[in-house]
Amino acid sequence: MKILLLLAWRQLVRQRLQSALTLLGIALGVAVVVAVDLANESSSRALERTLDALTGTATHHIVGPPRGFDEALYLRLRLQGVRASAPVVEGFIRIGGETWRLLGIDPLAESRFRPQVESTDEGALRRLMVEPGSVLAPPRGARHADAEGRMVAEAGGRTEVLRLAGTYRSNAGIDDLLLADIATAQTLLDRVGRLDRIDLQLSASQVEEVAAMLPPGLHVEEAEARRGHTEQLARAFQINLRAMSLLALLVGAFLVYNTVAFGVIRHRELLGTLRAVGATPHQVVMLVMGQALLMGTLGTVLGVLGGLVLGDVLLALVTRTINDLYFVLSVREVTVAPGSLLLGGGMGVAVTLLAAGIPAREAARVAPLTVQRRSHLERRTGRGALIGAVVGAPLILIGLLLPQLAERSLLAGFVALGLIMIGAGALVPLLVAGIGAIGSRVVRGVLGRRAVRGLSAGLSRSGIAVAALAIAVSATVGVTVMVDSFRVSVADWLEAILVGDVYVAPPGTVSSRVDGTLDPSVVERFRALPGVAAVRGTRRVEVMAESGPVSLLAVEAVSHTRDRFTLLAGEPESAWQAFRAGEAVFASEPLAFHRRIEPGDRIELMTDRGMREFPVAAIYRDYGSEAGVVAMGMSIYRQLWDDPDHSSLVLYAAPGVPTDTLLANARAAAAELSQTLEVRSNEAIRSVSLAIFDRTFTVTRVLRLLTVLVAAVGIFGALSAMQIERAREHALLRSLGVTPGGLFLLVGLETALLGLVAGLVAIPLGVVTAEVLIDVINRRAFGWSMDLVVPPAVPLEALTLAVGSALAAGIYPAWRMARTPPALALREE
Amino acid sequence: MTSDPRLHISGLTRRFPDAPHPVLDRLDFAVNGGEIVAVLGRSGSGKSTLFNLIAGIDAADAGSVSVGGTDLTRLSERDRTLFRRRRIGFVYQFFNLIPTLTVEENAALPLELNGDRSRGEVRRLLAAVGLADRADDFPDRLSGGEQQRVAIARALVHHPDLILADEPTGNLDAESGERAIQLLTDLTRERGASLLIATHSLAVSRLADRVLTLEAGRLTERTGALAW
Repeated sequence: MKILLLLAWRQLVRQRLQSALTLLGIALGVAVVVAVDLANESSSRALERTLDALTGTATHHIVGPPRGFDEALYLRLRLQGVRASAPVVEGFIRIGGETWRLLGIDPLAESRFRPQVESTDEGALRRLMVEPGSVLAPPRGARHADAEGRMVAEAGGRTEVLRLAGTYRSNAGIDDLLLADIATAQTLLDRVGRLDRIDLQLSASQVEEVAAMLPPGLHVEEAEARRGHTEQLARAFQINLRAMSLLALLVGAFLVYNTVAFGVIRHRELLGTLRAVGATPHQVVMLVMGQALLMGTLGTVLGVLGGLVLGDVLLALVTRTINDLYFVLSVREVTVAPGSLLLGGGMGVAVTLLAAGIPAREAARVAPLTVQRRSHLERRTGRGALIGAVVGAPLILIGLLLPQLAERSLLAGFVALGLIMIGAGALVPLLVAGIGAIGSRVVRGVLGRRAVRGLSAGLSRSGIAVAALAIAVSATVGVTVMVDSFRVSVADWLEAILVGDVYVAPPGTVSSRVDGTLDPSVVERFRALPGVAAVRGTRRVEVMAESGPVSLLAVEAVSHTRDRFTLLAGEPESAWQAFRAGEAVFASEPLAFHRRIEPGDRIELMTDRGMREFPVAAIYRDYGSEAGVVAMGMSIYRQLWDDPDHSSLVLYAAPGVPTDTLLANARAAAAELSQTLEVRSNEAIRSVSLAIFDRTFTVTRVLRLLTVLVAAVGIFGALSAMQIERAREHALLRSLGVTPGGLFLLVGLETALLGLVAGLVAIPLGVVTAEVLIDVINRRAFGWSMDLVVPPAVPLEALTLAVGSALAAGIYPAWRMARTPPALALREE
Repeated sequence: MTSDPRLHISGLTRRFPDAPHPVLDRLDFAVNGGEIVAVLGRSGSGKSTLFNLIAGIDAADAGSVSVGGTDLTRLSERDRTLFRRRRIGFVYQFFNLIPTLTVEENAALPLELNGDRSRGEVRRLLAAVGLADRADDFPDRLSGGEQQRVAIARALVHHPDLILADEPTGNLDAESGERAIQLLTDLTRERGASLLIATHSLAVSRLADRVLTLEAGRLTERTGALAW
């Protein structure tokens, strides 16, 4: 056995380049999987910790209307014996260019709810209560304070000076939370005399009792339910990211398989010799598996280390997207989750062993002399290609049918995508053999035929290489088409909703959402602005529905606003009439999908007059919120909620007034007001929105790039090995009079041909992948529908990528072949 | 047979790194047009190295190789290749057929490399080597002897001045080897080409006009009875 071990080791060392490429292929595949998983895990944990800090040990909350409720309720409850209660005002302010979450609390009532308060020294707590404008910050926040502890903050569009009363110990990585006395928070957030919620610690029997004490419009909510809702918001995004990582995993696994299987196939002759001199099949398998285990383990260790570094980069992108879309979250370091490391590590070793095991077992089972014969391998591969097709075609069919059978299951979507890809991969060898057979009849010229026939004659090599390249390119095509389709749909939707000329809103804390409130003076000022034909206000608040919180959008139901609703279901004319009359609401597509709402259904919302039922007249397209929105007329909103405020204003230019003039007038007016406002043109909002969209997909693009990189390494390994293996044949051509340049071209042509076949397979497969990502995974994760748009450049890009990768992989062996003296290669039998 | 030297070798020397002595040491010899010359030598004596230098697929350390009046050692790599393509034919011990080309395509390869796509000569030669009915078969369907006969057709198809046959029977049984070498010598004579054969075989040597022996890097002409 010692000789066998030495042999295994020397083979790895002698074929240094191939060994290094195999290691790199495994390491990259593992790194991508580990990195995505770590980024997902870290952001999830950060979200959990933030929610822990916000909820503290509360079991229930009293929540109410969007503008909060009268603080007198808190006093009344305490007097009625609800002692385990604490008032909360919550909002966001900006300090030093960063968004901070401000939690207004009653330090006296708080100690039993939040550990941060408990651990703070008494002096700081006292200052918090007696000095207006004081805040407690985590240690990181202290750097924003000057020598006297002053910090400049922007709150609700105004500039305020805060005083750092002290720092609290930021446990569990929460470092974007400021604590203030409730009075300070009410002032800063413009909610004097009002509370956002009251935290409670209640036993099950007390819940009913407390609920009975509440006025209409307020209710008791379980802390877990509220928390679950917030977690759910980011979950769809993480699921989508998981889809991308699974795609990378699949491509990574395919390429690892490709690289390792290729290595074993190349050593069949050696395995045959070992069998001939008396090695048992078991020893042969052990030799190969030992090599694979060594490579798999080394590659996996490198991959896990790389994954930790890459995870840090991805985490920054993931956190930014979560902040853009869902929830202000601060994550500063990757949480090393053992599960993530195990997933990536397990994938690396398992796929490597599987990839080595199948050909090793096959080589060990056949007679020694037969193993050495290449024609036997190719015949077996030819039969394997047929079997692959027989297995692959039904897999694709099942993959296409599965989403129809399991209508709402996201898991079914992932499985379907995997089946389609694996099925297509299994079909590729037969396709390659077919193209080789047809090509050899069509192509003229002996060297051309040799190149074409090389496809089918070397199926054991070319089949795997083309399948791996096709899968990698199709994943890229699929993601590109999905993102492009999404972008086109979002751009169309923005075109439809941005019907005004100029938009006015306070700066938002979450980039994609207008969630502030305009001062009443602002509305008056803009109504009197010269050049304005009309001013329409909108109100965006969060209200309680029977199935949890939901975003509510109130708009003035005039003809201007009708165009902003692209109706996907419901009879447009009657739906609009009912909406305008305040008799019905519209539900956004994600809301309708997640809560199974159809036109004609009813939705219950908690109004300031108690729970009310609203008929849903239509479902409309909305890419602004994946949690879903209920849209209603402003008049009915004003009737049922005591909220006269606006979140934003839409200005329409008077006839003959250019938008630029109106914009300049609006900005001049805004500059005179005490509230900081964002005044933007229709066009600016569109470009900002698309910029956020593009930013959201940065992580997707990074993953796509990594997938291509994994593919490139895998293909480089396979193709260079394939060409090096043909060294003798190439040397013969040189001795027959093919010049070095001619040989370089010839090898280039052969690899380009492989790339071309992979590209041709990848285009339809990529479009099907995009269709599954759009219609199944996106739809089920986010509830959005969109049209599949295949940009005309995509097929060309796919071919360029496939042929380019293959050519890039072929350049080195081509160069090496062209430079090797034919005498040397011919001697190396 | 003409008296012009078809191949003229002068002072040809080739050393390999780490080898104490040159594998070919200042060789001088000539082969006339239409002449068949056998080179006898033990394994490792440098026969293949000599053939590679003559074909221009290896570079000499000193000396010159002139084929038909052209000194190959003065040509660039590219020009040597183009020269070889037109003027030299090669037959190897291991046949070296391209597995993905049919018998006819393998034989036609030198013609195509020279830009000639006609197949008349290919078919004539395949008939001459007794493989006309196997033209569409791939090499893995042929016996060793048949494969070598395809290689002979390939070496002759473009009417080279010089044919180099490196142990052409070394991988064949006696009967197949005899048939292959007979075909090679007959066809070479028929076409007026010169043939240089590296061999261990006395039977092969007997078909040659002259016999040279290569030993310790030096070449000597055998004039007496062959006693190998």
